[in-house]
Amino acid sequence: MMLSALIFLPILFAIVMAFWPQKNTVRHLAFGFSIIQFILSLGMLQRFDASSAALQMVEKSVWIQRFGISYFLGIDGISVMLVMLTTFLVPIIILGSWNSIDKQVKGFHSALFILQAAMLGSFLAMDAILFYVFWELSLVPMYFIVGIWGGTRRIYATLKFFIYTMAGSMLMLLAIIFLMRLTPEVTGGNISASILDFYKLNIPFIAGDFLTPQTLLFFAFAIAFAIKVPIFPLHTWLPDAHVEAPTPGSVVLAGVMLKMGTYGFLRWVIPLFPEAAEHFAWLFVLVGVIGIIYGALVAMVQPDVKKLVAYSSVSHMGYILIGLFVMNTYGVNGALYQMLNHGISTGALFLLIGMIYERTHSREISKYGGLAGVLPHFTIAFVIVTMSSIAVPMTNGFVGEFLILLGSYAFSPIVAAFAVTGVVLGAAYMLWMVKRVFFGPKGELITNAEHDHAHALHDLSAREFAVLIPLIIMIFWMGLFPNHFMDYSKASVDHLVKNKMDYSIPMSTNTAQTGER
Amino acid sequence: MNISMADILLISPMIALFLFSLIPLTIKVLRGNVEQSPTATIVEALIGLFLTAGLLIVFGGSGKTAFNGQLVFDGLTQWMGLIAVVSAGFSMILMYENPATRGKQFSELIFLAMNSILGMLILVSAVDLITIFIGLELMSLSLYLMIAMSHEQKISKEAAIKYFVLGSFASAIFLYGVSFVFGSAGTINILDLMENASTLIKTSKVFLFGVSFISLGFCFKVSIAPFHAWTPDVYQGAPTPVTSFMATAVKTVSFAAFLRVLAMKPLIGSDNLFLVLQWFAVLTMTIGNVAALVQTNLKRTIAYSSISHSGYILVGLITAGISQNSVFAASSVVFYLLAYSLMTFGAFAIVSLIEKNENSVVQTDDLAGFAKNQPMLALCLTIFLLSLAGIPPALGFFGKFYLFSAAVSEGLLWLALWGVLNSAIGVYYYLRPIVVMYMREGDCDISDDRRFGTTVAIVTAALLIVVLGIGSGPLFEMIERSLM
Repeated sequence: MMLSALIFLPILFAIVMAFWPQKNTVRHLAFGFSIIQFILSLGMLQRFDASSAALQMVEKSVWIQRFGISYFLGIDGISVMLVMLTTFLVPIIILGSWNSIDKQVKGFHSALFILQAAMLGSFLAMDAILFYVFWELSLVPMYFIVGIWGGTRRIYATLKFFIYTMAGSMLMLLAIIFLMRLTPEVTGGNISASILDFYKLNIPFIAGDFLTPQTLLFFAFAIAFAIKVPIFPLHTWLPDAHVEAPTPGSVVLAGVMLKMGTYGFLRWVIPLFPEAAEHFAWLFVLVGVIGIIYGALVAMVQPDVKKLVAYSSVSHMGYILIGLFVMNTYGVNGALYQMLNHGISTGALFLLIGMIYERTHSREISKYGGLAGVLPHFTIAFVIVTMSSIAVPMTNGFVGEFLILLGSYAFSPIVAAFAVTGVVLGAAYMLWMVKRVFFGPKGELITNAEHDHAHALHDLSAREFAVLIPLIIMIFWMGLFPNHFMDYSKASVDHLVKNKMDYSIPMSTNTAQTGER
Repeated sequence: MNISMADILLISPMIALFLFSLIPLTIKVLRGNVEQSPTATIVEALIGLFLTAGLLIVFGGSGKTAFNGQLVFDGLTQWMGLIAVVSAGFSMILMYENPATRGKQFSELIFLAMNSILGMLILVSAVDLITIFIGLELMSLSLYLMIAMSHEQKISKEAAIKYFVLGSFASAIFLYGVSFVFGSAGTINILDLMENASTLIKTSKVFLFGVSFISLGFCFKVSIAPFHAWTPDVYQGAPTPVTSFMATAVKTVSFAAFLRVLAMKPLIGSDNLFLVLQWFAVLTMTIGNVAALVQTNLKRTIAYSSISHSGYILVGLITAGISQNSVFAASSVVFYLLAYSLMTFGAFAIVSLIEKNENSVVQTDDLAGFAKNQPMLALCLTIFLLSLAGIPPALGFFGKFYLFSAAVSEGLLWLALWGVLNSAIGVYYYLRPIVVMYMREGDCDISDDRRFGTTVAIVTAALLIVVLGIGSGPLFEMIERSLM
């Protein structure tokens, strides 16, 4: 029941929100709801057994019997931290967007809760069709969030986002149907959409022959997830969506939605099509490396600070992809860790950019300069988050990137060498941006604000501190004590890496009973 | 030929429908050509439809044949008939409230609509090719008049003439095909042909010719490319409620009859016909979706969308035509038609509500501001459009899922692939009205008077789409059991 509650409580919240009569308490209510949700997820974490690679808190009941489709939820080490990330970020987002969302406040928070439900659903679903339903459902609220509350080119951006993702996932649907057709071999005659049955399938693979079932299915899934991640040649929707999205939209997009793609690789692509994944690993590692360098180079020349961070996401996601496809313990652990890091540090960056945008209504780097003297607290927070983003030791980013580099070195030293250039480039564009925005002579925006007392720049408010402090605590906590977090996923990742050719997730015994209830 | 009591019971839905259709006209004649109030007319008509639906449920699904095997009452009759009756009933509510159709000649309009539904019921139950023809003509002739009767000035007359000419042409082709079938097989009863159609088509060129012509006739009726050209013009020109009637009920029953013809398994015997129909399906999906991308008129957009959906349904029909046990594919077709009718009705109903007078034209851009003024209706339109686009968990998604599952299980992977790729194209034009509604400033609103019935119908359809979508499993099994 725990997992169902996690998914359906936000939907209930969304409905309550839509009919809430008082306009001025909507934000308080939403914040309260999101905190309840976070506490619930902490309760879930409490019950989670980190030492086991098994699928826990399983809930399974028949949904569409004719096709063996079930309402099948479960959690293991791969998804547990992503669920926590989702529930952790939502209250922060609501608090962070307190002033920036000023029209249709109810609609916004309803959309946000439905989005949360859909994202949690896709992390927890263990049935292919259920997963697909949540996966597609998550597009709709995001589409509205960008399209209604976004910037000037929001309609173009939101349509592009929706159509790109949809186009990718239609192929995945066909692949799911095809896989379901194969399942009677392993279930003894019954068609099934459960991922556990999919894992048992032995899909024919011939290296070098592109038209074998496994290769085609592999690419059908991989393209869907690659668009979501996004991987280098398919990334063009991301900068548009990020720049046009309102601050909370960008945070959810960068923080959680991109992880749905990388999670998809880890949950579906690699274990389901191990031979193909291994055979084409070089391709994905290659596009990962290209993504790292390309994203960093493009980020370097962006005049718009939000676009810069958006391209830095392309670069960071390249790391995660490499980590996943080198397929060793270091790489996969690092990738999983980096997913969390990216969610926290890029989320924090977008929030910070949103805060400064609220004050100056500009994101152009060239108009800033010398902000450090005017907004000291803001500057400190920004610099800390920047450090995390460029993976300075003691921050969370370092742990993830270091593990991925270790993993990629074991895969191929050349890959590691190229990936390392990304670290240097990343430091270059981020620090250069920080220098131009916060230090040096005062830019036109700052001098204007000094002369115009009505629009004077104020340093962080108490609310903004409350938004940033949890994120900054997480940055250091995850940087100094990575084991506190990695322990939850260790067993599952080890199990995956060791048995990837013949992968299956056992169902944990203590929760199997609750499942059968 | 003796007519037994059992036959009468079986066709009781049709008898009830016909009797009820006479009431408004009779009253008008008795009163000396003075129309009774439209409200009374619509209430009588809806009672008639309820009764028809009830009788269809009670007597329809027994699998018995009536009139020496001319009509058959099986699960297909029952389901397709119910879908047609329900969506026609919804469309009649639109007729009652739309400015282009309400007014002086409302009793005649309802009389024609109910006779058209009568034709539909004959069409879904007929297994004799000539009886199919009779049903087709009864349905179509009423429809030509319904289109032409609009109060609107010019465009609907053009639509009616166009539809009449092309429709008659299609009927002629159909009839020509029937004559060839009779000449080669000696019978025109589908049940008799069922056993040897697939061998006959191999040995007899004349039979192949006949079956091909019959199929082409149906392709005209259900707007399969390259015979789709009339659809956008007629759908746009006809008054919106009549368009909704055509796009939902008429299309459903035409597909039902087409399904019966293909269930003779001619495709198993003839690779060429099989190949041609596959290309028709691909062409239809692609043309419908690509042409819809560039439309600015909302009705025309939905018309092209309806063409593309014909393409998806044809995939299901082909699947049913080549599989040994066609129940699964046929059920997926029935399910899809149910979904399609609800969604398409909903989209047209919203257009109908926005039309201010009989000559108004609704462009997609006119929807700006609709979400602000009518949040609930905008939400409903969003549900219809997302369902048409195939976004889960709406009914449209499960329709596509079952349809393409059937196709994949029969090895028609490439048709399914075309289907899903086309769905991705379709997303663009389905999202555009949503964009305009929610994201642009404007003052689009519905006309104030007479909108209660339409609103109720729209909300019902939207709820059905969501609820049946989530609970699609039992519904599908129910359809499948009744088609066994």
